[in-house]
Amino acid sequence: MNAVANPLLSVDRLTIEIGGANVVDDISFTVAPGKVMALVGESGCGKSLTSYAMLGLLPPAAKRTGGRIMLESTDLGAMSERQLRKARGKDISIIFQEPSASLDPLTTVGSQIAEAYRVHQGASRTEAYEKARQMLVDVGIPDPTRRLDQYPFELSGGMCQRIMISIALINGPRLLVADEPTTALDVTIQAQILDLMKKLVSERGTAIVLITHDMGVVADIADEVAVMYAGRIAEIAPVHALFAAPKHPYTALLLASVPKLDHSPKADLATIEGTVPTPSEFGVGCRFADRCPLVTDKCRSEQPPLFQSGESGHRSACWHIDRMAEIRGVAA
Amino acid sequence: MSDAPKVLELRDVAVHFGGRGGFLSSPGPVVKAVNGVDLEIGRAETVALVGESGCGKSTLSNTIVGLQAPVSGSVRVSGEEVVGADKKKLNDIRRKVQMIFQDPALSLDPRSTVGATIAEPLIVRGVAKGRELKEHVATLLQQVGLRPEFADRYPHQFSGGQRQRVVIARALALEPDLVICDEPVSALDVSVRAQILNLLVALQKRTGVSYLFVSHDLGVVRHICDRVVVMYLGRFVEMADRDTFFANPKHPYTKALMSAVPEADPVVQRSKERIILGGELPSPANIPSGCAFHTRCPLATEICSKERPELTSRPDGARVACHHA
Repeated sequence: MNAVANPLLSVDRLTIEIGGANVVDDISFTVAPGKVMALVGESGCGKSLTSYAMLGLLPPAAKRTGGRIMLESTDLGAMSERQLRKARGKDISIIFQEPSASLDPLTTVGSQIAEAYRVHQGASRTEAYEKARQMLVDVGIPDPTRRLDQYPFELSGGMCQRIMISIALINGPRLLVADEPTTALDVTIQAQILDLMKKLVSERGTAIVLITHDMGVVADIADEVAVMYAGRIAEIAPVHALFAAPKHPYTALLLASVPKLDHSPKADLATIEGTVPTPSEFGVGCRFADRCPLVTDKCRSEQPPLFQSGESGHRSACWHIDRMAEIRGVAA
Repeated sequence: MSDAPKVLELRDVAVHFGGRGGFLSSPGPVVKAVNGVDLEIGRAETVALVGESGCGKSTLSNTIVGLQAPVSGSVRVSGEEVVGADKKKLNDIRRKVQMIFQDPALSLDPRSTVGATIAEPLIVRGVAKGRELKEHVATLLQQVGLRPEFADRYPHQFSGGQRQRVVIARALALEPDLVICDEPVSALDVSVRAQILNLLVALQKRTGVSYLFVSHDLGVVRHICDRVVVMYLGRFVEMADRDTFFANPKHPYTKALMSAVPEADPVVQRSKERIILGGELPSPANIPSGCAFHTRCPLATEICSKERPELTSRPDGARVACHHA
């Protein structure tokens, strides 16, 4: 919960530019071993770019213009492409939303999993296959020997996502980046995958950076949450503190717009008026100002820093943290 | 309820695919996508159809609008039989039932202005033309919370939520009795979802339209629906009104679904009872014997693999197909 002495990952003042606009602007957070950090936000908030930067996978148009990304004492940003290739899949792995788009359709899943092991460990074919079979057992795929010889099209979506997870984990990475790993899956399969991820965290001490827009998934698995809006962190907090008492109007409205158990049916849900600004519309002040019910002149002219608020580790970038009660009025 | 015909009446509807074999091919397996379902929807009522991919909910939706012919059973929209209707009749019926899909970007023609898109059904049906048509489109845009001057813009100039509003305006243009909403908010950002849900509710209050709301998001279902139907491998396994359904779910599959949907509250979510279903949804080409759910069911006993349970009524009005619930 509190600042970790030896974080596994520390992202420090990361800034990424596309076409002159800071689409990721001064992002900092740390993740300790065996912890799950959720990056939450809507399309275009910069959560995926932030995570791709950790793996050196930024698209050509995007440039990292500032900040550092450290994996323990290694500066990932200072690595050559060659060094990065070694680190990817070994120290840091990533799983994407759409497993069927990430797997090679012309290769059996067995050789895809084994390849990841052979490339990094220099193991023999037989050894790698045995390791791959073991991975399938670990991720809960029944009849692993038969599955190894199948192609991705022969497997269901949930099964393919387990294959992706097997590939991502076969080298025992210390950090797993999971970009919307369950969004394309059915809910009962989502529950299985989330349980599998929890098992990884508790048994192997893997740290996870989870990118999602689903507050339910966050509530289920995250230890800490960074809510991103238009390239900046709006609020960052331990999960229970964030849900119990959000300290940023955006977070509060986001939570209020999700239908809950105690809502009366068909009653109006809280909404956030307007739309997310495009990078060309970013002003000098708070980027949420145009949609915020608490907005004042100061918000438009001056960017709020992340203020410490309440419980340790709970920070919010809002000039009006003391007026949060008014939002609860709006949201109710 | 009065004697007026129900907006939708399904009687023992079954839709199967394949099995016939082609010119040079032997008959393949029969895929039983929908396998004998009954359902009624009244005026201004919202019924949720819940189930996972492959359960048959999309096939059923297509059957209701007459895009897919059932192998047996009857589909009536506002009293008119869809099955076996001739082209002209089908055309008339389709006016009364419209669809909204998950991804508005895929439902709109990128090269038509949204005004032209909304006007199209009105022109095709000869409802309005010229100046009157323009006014009609402007009214529809206003009804869904968009400015009338947006009529001249193209879909790419809109956000996802605005596009879904355009799709809703087009669906409502012919004043349908029933709108089938197939995951209408799952492709949208969270803050926009609430806006679209509020809009659907407001439109229903104003026009009395009924919705068949296909979704897997039980939070949304609980918010917007009057009754809930759960489908598994082509059959309904539980139907109940909303309050009964959420207060007292009975079918083990329903319970598993409910426990699998993560609640946006860490205290509730981390303390709730979890039923993690093993395995995957079996193929609809190879439906298990007896109760189709018995291969994944925590309560399954011998009878479940032998005898298919019928939907039976329970004291609180719910109808459940389970030997043990």
